[in-house]
Amino acid sequence: MTAAYSMNRANLNPFLSAIAGDFELIAPVRTDIVRFEAVSDPAKICLDEQPFFPLKEFFFRKHEVILKFDGKRFTAPLKKAPKRVFFGVRRCDLNGVLHQDMVFSSGVADPYYAAQREDSLLIGFHCNEAPSEHCFCGSLDLKDFHDLMFFDRGEAYLVQVGSGKGAAFLKKFKKFFTASDYAVTDEDRFIEGVDKLKVKDISGVYDNPGWKPMVDACLSCGACTTLCPTCYCFELREVPSLQDESSERVREWSSCQLKEFTKVSGGFVYRESREDRFKHRIFHQLDYFKEKNGVNLCVGCGRCITGCPTRIDFVTGINEMKA
Amino acid sequence: MTEQTQVHAAPAGPVFWPKPTDTNPKLRVGFFGLTGCAGCQLSVLFNEDEILRLVEIIDVTAFPFVRERNIERDFDFLFVEGLVASRNDLETLQKLRERTKVLVALGACAHTGCVPAYRNFTLKENYEHLLYVKDRGIEDINPSPVDDYVKIDHTIPGCPPDKREILSFITDIVGGNKPKTFNNPVCIECRRNNNACLLESGKPCLGPVTRGGCNAVCVNGGFECWGCRGLTDDANVPAMVKLLEEKGYSKEFIRDRMRMFAGLKMPAEVEIIFRAANNKP
Amino acid sequence: METKSKPRARTAKKAIALTVSNPFMPTECKVTKFERQTTDTYTLKLSAKLVHEPGQFVQVTLPRVGECPISISSYSGEELELNIKQVGNMTNALAELRKGDTVYIRGPYGKGYPVKELKGNNLIMIGGGCGIAPLKGIIEYVERHRADYGKIQLFFGCRTPEDLLFKEHHNRWKDKFDLSLSVDQNPANTCFEGNVGFVTAMLEKASLEKDGSVAFMCGPPKMMAAAAQVLHAKGFHDDQIFVSAERLMYCAIGKCCHCMIREKFTCIDGPVFRYDEIGGIQE
Repeated sequence: MTAAYSMNRANLNPFLSAIAGDFELIAPVRTDIVRFEAVSDPAKICLDEQPFFPLKEFFFRKHEVILKFDGKRFTAPLKKAPKRVFFGVRRCDLNGVLHQDMVFSSGVADPYYAAQREDSLLIGFHCNEAPSEHCFCGSLDLKDFHDLMFFDRGEAYLVQVGSGKGAAFLKKFKKFFTASDYAVTDEDRFIEGVDKLKVKDISGVYDNPGWKPMVDACLSCGACTTLCPTCYCFELREVPSLQDESSERVREWSSCQLKEFTKVSGGFVYRESREDRFKHRIFHQLDYFKEKNGVNLCVGCGRCITGCPTRIDFVTGINEMKA
Repeated sequence: MTEQTQVHAAPAGPVFWPKPTDTNPKLRVGFFGLTGCAGCQLSVLFNEDEILRLVEIIDVTAFPFVRERNIERDFDFLFVEGLVASRNDLETLQKLRERTKVLVALGACAHTGCVPAYRNFTLKENYEHLLYVKDRGIEDINPSPVDDYVKIDHTIPGCPPDKREILSFITDIVGGNKPKTFNNPVCIECRRNNNACLLESGKPCLGPVTRGGCNAVCVNGGFECWGCRGLTDDANVPAMVKLLEEKGYSKEFIRDRMRMFAGLKMPAEVEIIFRAANNKP
Repeated sequence: METKSKPRARTAKKAIALTVSNPFMPTECKVTKFERQTTDTYTLKLSAKLVHEPGQFVQVTLPRVGECPISISSYSGEELELNIKQVGNMTNALAELRKGDTVYIRGPYGKGYPVKELKGNNLIMIGGGCGIAPLKGIIEYVERHRADYGKIQLFFGCRTPEDLLFKEHHNRWKDKFDLSLSVDQNPANTCFEGNVGFVTAMLEKASLEKDGSVAFMCGPPKMMAAAAQVLHAKGFHDDQIFVSAERLMYCAIGKCCHCMIREKFTCIDGPVFRYDEIGGIQE
């Protein structure tokens, strides 16, 4: 969909206030760091930086009771999330949502994800320049995936409609917008200096000695996978009640960087070496997922580098690998 | 086919921990303290909302810290807080071990030696004048964690241990399950709690190498991790030390910080890293 | 565009969440039989009429204990038979179930042994320890469709005679097929008559026809790797060898990622893989 609108800069905050009146508005806010939070006062919204944590926790929840046992039978505490509007989401994070949609709706669909995701509206915000030195989204084949997308054009915002849902939403708030016959071009979408990963097919570098310095610096702390907008692995845990015969089955995020990740009953660990674990993450992101789904899982947000305590820059690392 | 003996791995076999039976419906559980601050035993009691339920489902046969009459034998499970720092501690511990099926080290002192074991890292003349040997007739021995003397079946780490971990341990054993030990680093829970990383603000946080399970309680409150739950099985200590050095901390500082809680349980290969610091002892 | 999109948005709202069936919800069934096989393995029969392939697995739930994947060792369609080794909380708790007790399952999951697709072949089955269990499903299938297959050779091994599974079936299998049993150690006081040594040693001695044969394996990774080596030496190609992989699993529906072997998910692409699909035995 190429329909475009424009919005006077002065209209942005009134528009956001109006959204917050009708929906739960979630946008980047500066606290100690910039993070996505529910916000009612648009003045608090911070669009200067990429939020430190991605959007995924709003849809794929960190800790979710998926089954309850009352002593006799199981029930599923499946509750739909309220109507939420996400504003100020970067192209990488939008694609992160797209890839998680693919994961949780392909094959056997996941109702818990759907319940969170369903009534959400994504309003993107284009990066005129890369918000972080580790951004490499230009190296990934990202799609236009949004309900509405804002491009900052100084005095006004160019607004691109990306879905029927977005068009309907825009109609509801049409007094803030002016119709335009402009069509968004590749030039508008371009972000300078973010095509950092030069090796587009990494399938040949698995055994390259160039991994070693990165693995040596890896603390296996799982920061990369937790901060990743696409990493989706989880585990299930039984939590029996102390008080009675009831029990809960809880789903929690997990991380392939942990030794425990492949430990079976009896104690055997299938992917034990730090190197194999490290490479599994990179290969799942940049190789394995593509084989099944046609796109790389990774969206190039660079959070796994910015958030890594030892700043392991695998993008540079892979670029520098010699054949 | 040269590794013939390995074709069938040795049987892991069923893990037989005592569980409630029809004839013996309540597990006999004891709580004891050796040398320590009693904070770990308090952690048990801090479960105020559940404590009545606890005494309903287990038989607390001994808890000298809060009970006057205690039956000190035939324990299915015995929680031991504190470390061995006197002859009396040692005798108590050995006696209790003989009377116990599953011995649980409760808290950092029992687990690693923690702060009381810090004395091992300094010269005797620095503390000798502070000892109570002559006055009170207590026979002092070098402070060391419980498993230096007796076999430990399970550890609930932390200074203090997480009160909820004690509850889930008891829920598990009452249900006949063997509790799991949390083996992931503090960072896993910390990042999930959406904390800003304290290493980024230059604090010497030990979260990446420290066993979690504490829900990153210190970092949630803005205080860096000191490693009270000990190193994870998978800790990359060389990388951690390098990182902290890059942030401007000396090897001596890092060693002292890591010893504070992990104390005597710092693996030998880790001590080697610090030998370059060439600092006594 | 706006007029079109409005009703679409409404229908989309209803579509998900509440109508999607919950893949994590287990179904109740009853234990119809508990039978101890060895000191640490036992057989559970459950009243669940599942259509499944040999080599597939189910997720078994016990409330307040947890959930774990167990491979199916039957092929009757009438009852579900699970052969279980006690290695952890779940398998120990399941060992306390008796006839009439309740257990919850979901499944079947995964791809089993492609027995039906391989009609007309000779079958070689190689099983170690409790890895014999999923192969029993194939045997039950083949017993019903004997004419569809050529020569059938079974090579089963375990640690000691005590650990041999399905002793009650051995005589029948011996009559119908070519059954070779071996144990790693044979203590003096047993009356075991099979080979002492490794299952791979038996395989090495056996005469196998490499043309028109396929091998189905299940057992400890080291055993399977060694057996594959023997088969390769006898001229078998990777695409004639099928192995069953074991991994940690939570979801069984290709989401949780714990069971990944490179890009393959053991729960949906496996647990049975053709040898070349996963590039040999991992670890």
